[in-house]
Amino acid sequence: MAIPRIRIDQVSKSFGAVQVIKDLSLDIERGEFVSLLGPSGSGKTTLLMLLAGFEQPTAGSIVLDGSRIDHLPPHRREMGVVFQNYALFPHMSVADNVAFPLKMRGIGRGEVEGRVKRALDMVQLSSMRDRRPAQLSGGQQQRVALARALVFEPAVVLMDEPLGALDKQLREQMQLDIRALHKRLELTVVFVTHDQSEALTMSDRIAVFNQGIIEQIGSPRAIYDHPATRFVAEFIGETNLLEGTVKGHQADGTTIELDLDRHLTVPRTEAILPGARVLVSVRPERILLGSPSVAVQNRLPTRVLDSVYQGDHLRVQLDEAAFGLVVRLDRRFAEWPAGADVVAHFAPDDCWVIAA
Amino acid sequence: MIRFWQRAGHAALVLPLVLFLGLFFVWPLLTVLEQAVSDPVVSRHLPATTAASATWDRKSVPSAEMQQAFVRDLRAIDDDQTLGDLVRRLNSAQPGFRTLMKKTVTAARDSDGPLDLAEVDARWRETAFWRAIAEATNPYTDRNLLAAIDLQRDPSGAIATMAEGESANRTILLRTFLVASTVTLATCLIGLPYAMLVASSVGWRRQLLLAAVLLPLWTSLLVRTTAWYILLQDQGLINSTLSALHLIAHPLPLLFNRTGVIIAMTHVLLPFMVLPIYSVLIAIPKNLVPAAASLGAGPIRAFVYIMLPLTLRGIASGALLVFMAALGYYITPALIGGPKDQMISSVIAFYATGSANWGMAGALGIVLLAATLVLYGIYGRLSAANTARA
Amino acid sequence: MLRTGRFLFGAATVLFLLAPLIAILPLAFTSSSMLTYPITQLSGRWFEELATADAWRRSIVNSLIIGGGTTLLATVLGTLAALALRRRIAFHSALRTLFLLPMVVPAVVLGIGLQILLARLGLANTYLAVIIAHTVVAVPFVLVSMSASLDGIDPRLERAAASLGASPARVFLLVTMPLAMPGILSGAALAFATSLDEVVLTLFVAGPNQLTLARQMFASIRENISPAIVAAAFLFIVGTVLIGGLLAAVRQKALRTSATP
Repeated sequence: MAIPRIRIDQVSKSFGAVQVIKDLSLDIERGEFVSLLGPSGSGKTTLLMLLAGFEQPTAGSIVLDGSRIDHLPPHRREMGVVFQNYALFPHMSVADNVAFPLKMRGIGRGEVEGRVKRALDMVQLSSMRDRRPAQLSGGQQQRVALARALVFEPAVVLMDEPLGALDKQLREQMQLDIRALHKRLELTVVFVTHDQSEALTMSDRIAVFNQGIIEQIGSPRAIYDHPATRFVAEFIGETNLLEGTVKGHQADGTTIELDLDRHLTVPRTEAILPGARVLVSVRPERILLGSPSVAVQNRLPTRVLDSVYQGDHLRVQLDEAAFGLVVRLDRRFAEWPAGADVVAHFAPDDCWVIAA
Repeated sequence: MIRFWQRAGHAALVLPLVLFLGLFFVWPLLTVLEQAVSDPVVSRHLPATTAASATWDRKSVPSAEMQQAFVRDLRAIDDDQTLGDLVRRLNSAQPGFRTLMKKTVTAARDSDGPLDLAEVDARWRETAFWRAIAEATNPYTDRNLLAAIDLQRDPSGAIATMAEGESANRTILLRTFLVASTVTLATCLIGLPYAMLVASSVGWRRQLLLAAVLLPLWTSLLVRTTAWYILLQDQGLINSTLSALHLIAHPLPLLFNRTGVIIAMTHVLLPFMVLPIYSVLIAIPKNLVPAAASLGAGPIRAFVYIMLPLTLRGIASGALLVFMAALGYYITPALIGGPKDQMISSVIAFYATGSANWGMAGALGIVLLAATLVLYGIYGRLSAANTARA
Repeated sequence: MLRTGRFLFGAATVLFLLAPLIAILPLAFTSSSMLTYPITQLSGRWFEELATADAWRRSIVNSLIIGGGTTLLATVLGTLAALALRRRIAFHSALRTLFLLPMVVPAVVLGIGLQILLARLGLANTYLAVIIAHTVVAVPFVLVSMSASLDGIDPRLERAAASLGASPARVFLLVTMPLAMPGILSGAALAFATSLDEVVLTLFVAGPNQLTLARQMFASIRENISPAIVAAAFLFIVGTVLIGGLLAAVRQKALRTSATP
């Protein structure tokens, strides 16, 4: 078992009376891309600041490659940081900005030249080397910030919502570029974002933050398909949540009793005892609509309330007989007009149980 | 068509102020310039001589015609004041004119018709005296401007330094420059850290620190200077506090000397240093220093490589403002300083209201004005660059 | 360690900035004729002297007359110019520089020029002369204040008024001017304060009958210093604070009424 690159051990952080991070522990492996995902104020940026050294933990420790670093000031931590709004030095050229960390480490002129050139080539900005940051577009400034944070080959790269100020297309391109760089250079990256689709695209693992604690950490697939809490289920993607009680466990699954005398079969979860209240999470794209006569499991006869065209899919709202489920109907399937009688159904594996 | 008239009408709104300032701001300054370079005594009161001297070769003694023109002009003067001005003017160019003129005027008035000037006094055979008159017929002169920096034209016409003791303008200019520089340095040493303190504070602390700088600005300059006058006295609050604390045995001389002037002027001009620096500081993005730290720069290097270069413009603006203001200051040095601390503005005032030497007052005024305008030009460039950069 | 250092430095500088003003004010109420502490007995005699002594009383009246005249003239000229400069007219930046120059030029130099010029125009020893001189240096303040205020007016308000049928003149009277009122009042207050404080130009331009309070104070300090001067200074400060307070109140009210929801 390799020593994790970063070990965050029972760290808490308070600002005055407000506790922003509560007894948090997290291991990050070498070469991993971990996203810290959560709404504003959930503590993710604070954790990044603790890693970078701009804040000190109120309790707990932070260990990098086996040695404690929480007492080290930021300029000795050997971590590359890409800030929101880039923080490029306006009075220096692009090349000087990128050369800065090398200059701080006393590296000789000749070598600095070479490394700056390579860094700028890596982000495709060699032609801009003599310009000032103010003369560059947002996307170009972003790439300079990236080059500057990587040029001194740090152990870890921390990114604080670096793509927030860019427009959609540019952002998506940069997401892929950063991911490619990460793979090529075998970097360990800690990436803060509030955009869940961004986290899903880029990460090896996602840590979902809520009010100072990590509600779930896992691969994008695990987070999306098997959310551990209501918060995670609702924060990542869109979902339908149905309240019910565990009726009993069978060989092929567990039975959940919902209101209106409906029953659902969900994946087997013996850990939750019969009689316990649970939430069943079923994603809109997993629900199928069939004619009233179709025979399927998890059958909810209902009526279509509204059907809104969204380009690549239809957003269908069902009535209270199906507990107001929202369905994301792929265009390949037959369309159902408002008022039509349908049966909403999904396989047990298409839903997930969360303890209420 | 309507648009044109509308816009013309709109632009015409600016005319009243333009006319007002043209009349009462620009014209007075031009008047000062005029005073500095004009020398009308001879050309106005010896018109015939002036005309005649235009053709004189200035090498040999003037022709009889010119000499008699001179006599005619002398007879035409009936005002003792004018005569006095004339004599003073000529005497300052060539010593000896006082007695010479006295003799000659008496002789001219006691007779009629042509007068043999060489008979009246042998000095009229020397070209030096005639040359002095001829040179003085030029209604414009550079005497005052040269004298303003202790220069004069020697008999051959070349520019030379005045003799020791004749003119102290250079000393005073140097002194003014020195005081202004010292005050600028003092305000910088106190103002820069203070501005940084304000910029890094938040909430009520920042408001308080800012109020402490803005309140003196709002208060009358005269009141502030008066306050220092009272405080710096031998029996003033500062001395009595220091001796009450047994820190001094005898009162420190703080009034009517350089120390008092520097202290008072620093106090008055400090806000002009703090505010430009502060406004530059708050425009610096807050994440630059953390970024520098993350790249390996400790607190000192982050300050030197990042904060200082970006603050430099603010410091330069502040320093220029303070220096410009200090150069032209009148009230504070006049009230707080001793005789050895008088700055150029006091000297200008003295020449103007004290000895009615408008030529010198004007000349020194032009020197001060020129220096101020040059500095203002540089300041303007800096501010423009600042806003362009933002 | 650094924290206490910063605190001490900040406190010391604040003290340096504010103490001189606060330290002398109590002396206005001393009964002795020396300007020293401790004050053994309080008295209002110096204020009485200001009110009764001829020289002081006249100078206060003069200051009010000249201050009033300056305020009027400077506000009118400055407001017109600020309105003109709202749009990019010909020679825009040259004009702006010209209008701000009086703040920069050394007062002594301007004073000499004005003395000569005003004498030539036959205005020596008149109130008008002093008012003109004060206006020259007060206008830049009015201009800056007005310009800032006008810049803060949302042009969409004026366009909306026009779209609702108001002619340019009515837009100006009913929308622009009321919204610019805080700027006009600030400018006027600054002009008055500038006139009140003006000494150097007054030295050159005022005749013996137009001595202002500031001019009188200046002469007194050099010739005959007494607590009456501090009493005058006290009045100055009170006047300034009152004007400042009035301005702040007006500004608050304007902000509340003009705040777009």
